[in-house]
Amino acid sequence: MSDRLATARPRGLSFVVDSPRWLGPLMIGPAVLYIVLVVGLPFVLAILYAFSDVSMGHRTLEFVGFRNFASVLGTPKFQTALKNTFVFAVTSQVLVMVLATVLALALIRDFHGKWLVRLLILLPWVAPISLGTIGWLWILDSTYSVINWTLEALGLITNEGWLMWLGVPHLAMASVIVIHVWRILPLATVILIAGLTSIPHDIHDAAQMDGAGFWRHLFQVTVPLIRPIMLVAGLFGLVFAFTDMIVIFVLTRGGPYDTTQVLASLAFFTGIQGGDLAEGAAVALFLFPLLVAVAVGFLRVARRTEVT
Amino acid sequence: MGGGTVTRRDFIKTSGAGAVATGLGANIIVPGRAHAAKKKLRILQWVHFVPAYDEWFNKKYVVEWGQKNDTEVTVDNIGIAGINARAAAEVSAQKGHDLFLFNWPPPTFEEQAVDMKDVYQEVERKLGKPIDLAIKSTYNPKTKRYYAFSPSFTPDPVNYRQDLFAQVGLPNGPRTWEEVRVKGAEIKKKTGHPVGIGLANEIDTGMAMRTIMYAFGAHEQDENGNLALNSKQTLEAIKFVRALFQEAMTAEVFTWDASSNNRAMIAGKVSVVLNAISITRTAEKDDPEISKKIQLTKALRGPVRAIGLEHVMQCYVVWKFAENIDGAKRFLVDYTTDFRQPFVAGEFYDFPCFPKTVPDLAKLISNDPKAHPLDKYKVLEDVLGWATNVGYPGYANAAIDEIFGTWVLNVMFAKAASGAATPEEALQEADTACRRIFGKWKEKGLV
Repeated sequence: MSDRLATARPRGLSFVVDSPRWLGPLMIGPAVLYIVLVVGLPFVLAILYAFSDVSMGHRTLEFVGFRNFASVLGTPKFQTALKNTFVFAVTSQVLVMVLATVLALALIRDFHGKWLVRLLILLPWVAPISLGTIGWLWILDSTYSVINWTLEALGLITNEGWLMWLGVPHLAMASVIVIHVWRILPLATVILIAGLTSIPHDIHDAAQMDGAGFWRHLFQVTVPLIRPIMLVAGLFGLVFAFTDMIVIFVLTRGGPYDTTQVLASLAFFTGIQGGDLAEGAAVALFLFPLLVAVAVGFLRVARRTEVT
Repeated sequence: MGGGTVTRRDFIKTSGAGAVATGLGANIIVPGRAHAAKKKLRILQWVHFVPAYDEWFNKKYVVEWGQKNDTEVTVDNIGIAGINARAAAEVSAQKGHDLFLFNWPPPTFEEQAVDMKDVYQEVERKLGKPIDLAIKSTYNPKTKRYYAFSPSFTPDPVNYRQDLFAQVGLPNGPRTWEEVRVKGAEIKKKTGHPVGIGLANEIDTGMAMRTIMYAFGAHEQDENGNLALNSKQTLEAIKFVRALFQEAMTAEVFTWDASSNNRAMIAGKVSVVLNAISITRTAEKDDPEISKKIQLTKALRGPVRAIGLEHVMQCYVVWKFAENIDGAKRFLVDYTTDFRQPFVAGEFYDFPCFPKTVPDLAKLISNDPKAHPLDKYKVLEDVLGWATNVGYPGYANAAIDEIFGTWVLNVMFAKAASGAATPEEALQEADTACRRIFGKWKEKGLV
């Protein structure tokens, strides 16, 4: 009887559920389908657009080779946007990694109200980004800025000396970077907390027994152990910063005079506002090879430094 | 299989038959019913700045029009910032609304738009010629097609603080750009109120900078659509804006979005701005005291002419893939013929492109109970004569549209004003950008 049960071929749904060969693809199928539809197809379309002469009103794709890239590469607008993209992405990501490490180290300790602090730190990630950025727009507004109001109330600036957070190039770039950091920090922190909690306690105990101080413990024990996960967090953040435009679109639209224009926002203005979809796609895709190289590099380093 | 249970086979058979009967049946099995169904007309337009307009349009006008024309009309209102992206999505899907309202000329969509020549002809037969601004914003002389139809536009007058300008000897406000610079500086020095002309990557700056250029005799293109930016007049306009900024403004104007000048004026922070009557209408509702201090004046005179731009250009497009092209055209003819109603419902925000549609326009705007004084809007009575299009003296076209949408001229003026570039360098950079854009669209056959 037991032999018969063991050899009986499972029927219907149970056959699928009990078979790893079917269950795996079935479970991952919806996610793959989602990525293909929402990411893959638009991406393929963007590549087609970038090598064609398509515009908002002209739907026939005629192959033009690298003409769109060549046309836009030499323009001061593109070069400024390219430089700004690197400043924006690299600066924000360095800040995110440092702050996320500090926060994660603080948040794995036990203290009163830890859950509340964790909740508050997560909020910028949970809230819709456009809504949060509109809040910042008001905080940095030239007429109603609560920061300027506070600085004036504290006697640190005069009414005539209000800081134009979004009107002076370096202040505007600093503002968009700070808000981007505010937005990305929760994700990086959560990833690093996961990494920190996965380190076995006896390693920390051993380091303590050996008399390692805080910095030595941090840089020679903790950081090397969580390096793979730090690289993953860094990769996420970097790709996000290179490709996202919401903060800049809502706050400055690339101003003052293009000093915060990044490739993603320039692609939008060229493709959607300006009507030249092909050139907009070329601008958007320009960094793709670089990002692929960065991603491959990060993942290789992460794999090599993985502690088993 | 007991009597009360349903097998999978039964379930599929029953539900399949049901689906056929309810879904397909209505349209295929009973064709008579399908023919009897009402026609449909789907309209997409912005959330109007004056809420009363949407109330009137969505709940009264289209309902009555639908009843008269045996058509079920639906209206979708979206924010102005989403218009271009939405249009791109509809074109991409080759599906969407029958009537699509842009708030600016949409020349890049020409290939997807039905020629509106017959609509212009029919309205013209009833109401006479439209103003030049309407044609310049919807017609492509290169292809000889009307890619849109414009029943109305929003003027862009000068909004000034009467109390502040009275202190410097101009109780009726500035009349020239030079007065804005000299008296604006005087007001800033005396009261701390700067001039509020935007220098940012936003639509109002785009309009204001072109207004100054045109008044100085400078243009992006000539009347035949040839690039004409690099000129002595443009350089003079840039130098003027730099002087205006240095003497009468603050860095605040670099931070602005399209509604910042409204907020600054209503908050009592600036002495003069260029905007639609949205500022005065908001002030009338929210702050009657400041409303009394804000007055309007006509286009300011520059060294060459006094000219103003449209602030919003209502351009209706009927897609080639629309399902009810005839209904959409009929609607436009009727709406334009009835334009006195939207003019009143919109609290004079939209002015007619066919002057005869509102024969008593001067009388209406001379006696507005909401305004202080009652004839505050009287200065707009001859606006049909001094408002012009983006791209003047030529037609709005795809190149002009991209130059506007990528803020080329905004950046040119802002760089020179801030000192980030000399006027000559700023002009050179903008000219190179415009040359590239013009070349590109000429190659595509739209310019």
